Amino acid sequence: MRRVAGPRLEGYATVVATGLVAALALRRPELVALAAPFALLLAAGLRPAAAPRLEVSLTLAGERVVEGDALAATLGVRSDRALDRLELALALPAGIEVVDGAAALALRLRAGEERTFPITLTCRRWGVYDLGRVEVRARDPFRLLAWQGSVARRQRLRAYPRSETLRLLLPPRETQAFAGSEVARAKADGIEFADLRAYVPGDRVRSIHWRASARRGALVVGERHPERNTDVVLFVDSFADVRRGERSTLDDAVRATAALAASYLQRRDRVGLVTFGGVLRWLQPGLGLAQRYRLVETVLETGVEPTYTWRDVSVLPARILPPKALVLAITPLVDERFVAALADLRARRFDVAVLEVDPEPLVEPGPGELDRLAYRLWLLEREVLRFRLARLGIACARFGEGSPLATALEGVRTYRRHARLARA
Amino acid sequence: MAAAGARAAALALLVLVAALVHDWPRLVPLPLLALGGLYAVQLRVDAAPLDPAAAGVAAGLLVTAELAYWSLEEREGFHAEAGERLRRTARIAALGLAALLVAWGLLVLADAVRARGLALDLAGATAAAGVLLALALRARAR
Repeated sequence: MRRVAGPRLEGYATVVATGLVAALALRRPELVALAAPFALLLAAGLRPAAAPRLEVSLTLAGERVVEGDALAATLGVRSDRALDRLELALALPAGIEVVDGAAALALRLRAGEERTFPITLTCRRWGVYDLGRVEVRARDPFRLLAWQGSVARRQRLRAYPRSETLRLLLPPRETQAFAGSEVARAKADGIEFADLRAYVPGDRVRSIHWRASARRGALVVGERHPERNTDVVLFVDSFADVRRGERSTLDDAVRATAALAASYLQRRDRVGLVTFGGVLRWLQPGLGLAQRYRLVETVLETGVEPTYTWRDVSVLPARILPPKALVLAITPLVDERFVAALADLRARRFDVAVLEVDPEPLVEPGPGELDRLAYRLWLLEREVLRFRLARLGIACARFGEGSPLATALEGVRTYRRHARLARA
Repeated sequence: MAAAGARAAALALLVLVAALVHDWPRLVPLPLLALGGLYAVQLRVDAAPLDPAAAGVAAGLLVTAELAYWSLEEREGFHAEAGERLRRTARIAALGLAALLVAWGLLVLADAVRARGLALDLAGATAAAGVLLALALRARAR
């Protein structure tokens, strides 16, 4: 901590000096009387003093919180000597707010006394935050000098994105070998009825459909669809972020990713993650609660790192994109490199679907005629882009302001259902 | 003369208000000096032997300065504990009272030594210079 002079010191010294000089010049003792109280205050306030030893701590009730939820915290302080006024100011990163209690406190402290102050924090946005830095200023009784410094005991807080509940998910075209919740198109042991066929030696007796056998006069076996798990790779576009005020396409994409990951993992599907942008991050497909935490932790680190280098999917390790996996891209469709990567994946016979984080409400045309023309051209280009994706067999649906993720998922499901019918 | 003094006082008040509104602590001494200067001019014009009202003026200036700096500190937005404002008010009142007593004591002393010749005047001047020097040395040491 360093000792700094307050504005009083300079002001009072000016008054004293001017008063005494004027008293000498004018030979009026009254002016000395005017300056004397200020001089005495200075003399009293400038006596030597050692820096107080302060122990300041910020204790959080948890290390993880869902964005928008409240988190209890305690600010504790202790001093080795009495302080007439101790000012504590929590240095909070952008995105964290105090909803109950005060972020800046002024208190009086006795020697050795320990005080704690409960506060309630909230995270306005998902992310990883470093908390614990407290700005400290201890003033002397006359407010002439102050000891000030910064105490930092780092506490890491992870704010998970708030995700919406999804009732229906996008089923992949192909299932994997393990048991899960998705009804496979293949025929094997399962619950869902698939077809009837004639009995052949080797069929199990329990699979004989007795009612159909009685009708046909020959043994008939009932076939069923097995329930299998699926592999889903969430492919997040972090090349660009369209931001306006509090809203951002990247924020929406991260929230959608968290919601999709949680829902797929609940169905015992394997979920992987690729954030494709300036910094490439990936997570191998896995299942279970641990994978859910791994996914959210990875996605929290997602940010837009500007890059001008061309990047395609060949940089991804093969194990990240398993065969028959559904690649669910979450993108605002504003970067050509990501669109090219989608086309590349489709060319490699991956089952690709696009959930478009709609950036159009976040972009406003400029005031001029040319600006409006440019805006219309941009909208047309986006339409062309969607048409190109549709021609490649990539379903695309938008979500964002006023349009929930569930609606976009239903849009993609409908498209894929009709596309299948058309092909048939 | 009175009108000019009133105008100067009003100007000093304006400067003080500007300092408080715009959060300029460096401006706070200016109105104090202006008021002190007005008082000095009045002393010069009146040519009274010793004005006992100086003690009240000194206390008033100190209380004004303390209130102005307190007002500026409040702008920093620290949430103070209950009773802090009362304690602070009492402290400023005590400072004002102490200033009144100190100034009054000095005036009494000045009145006592007024008729005793040049030696005491010189001693007073030396003491004042000594105080200034001590303050300057202390400020430099920090």
